[in-house]
Amino acid sequence: MKKKVIVACGGAVATSTIAANKVVELCKKNGIDVEICQIRISEIESNLPGTSLIVTTSKVKRDYGVPLITGMPFISGVGVEKTEAAILKVLQEA
Amino acid sequence: MIWEELKNSLIMTEVEAESYEDVMRMIGGALVKDGYAKESYVGALIAREKEFPTGLDVDGIGVAIPHTDVSHVKKAGIAIGVLKKPVTFVQMGTDDETVEVKLVFMLSVVNPNAHIDQLQRIISIIQDTNVLNQILEVKDAEQIIEIIREKEKSL
Repeated sequence: MKKKVIVACGGAVATSTIAANKVVELCKKNGIDVEICQIRISEIESNLPGTSLIVTTSKVKRDYGVPLITGMPFISGVGVEKTEAAILKVLQEA
Repeated sequence: MIWEELKNSLIMTEVEAESYEDVMRMIGGALVKDGYAKESYVGALIAREKEFPTGLDVDGIGVAIPHTDVSHVKKAGIAIGVLKKPVTFVQMGTDDETVEVKLVFMLSVVNPNAHIDQLQRIISIIQDTNVLNQILEVKDAEQIIEIIREKEKSL
């Protein structure tokens, strides 16, 4: 079954595009079928139904009731492997 | 390739800025002047930076990648600024963690999904502390373009 992943940043311009692309590559490599929903932070709530995971590159204080992982390592390059492992874990269990 | 699109007029060294607002006005102003962004771009950059900061601590080197909504942009471009003295930015993904920024890669993005390759190249450049240190050492635009050209050979 396709897993829905929300990838969000402030303006859905640059950083979420990078993060979304990384998530797609990661899932492809690991045989996980994903549907990416790349949006602004402010649009998360209305896109929640069916979502397995949220990846953001901005600070999010709210709890959406869905696992949330920061995609910042995809931008800074620091801690990428750990983040990838965390994303895989959530999606493999979803 | 990024280096092919870099313009001398959009690479500024020894930028004398006191605040991130100054950085936006000076470097963003160059993008407006060269026809990459609309007049509203600078104000939009400042407003967005307040809400969604773009400072990055790349292994001890402070870098910022300011950008804003596509509605303020005319065409895709990148401006690079080397600051004469560091300016405080808030780190991306935080509310209050700051970073002293010396290098600014300002993006004017029109259609991010069409430029994913370019965006990833820019991120690869920013993640390479070797490249960042080299850029910080040189004094003119030509040399910065050369450093980025060299880096892109490896991408």
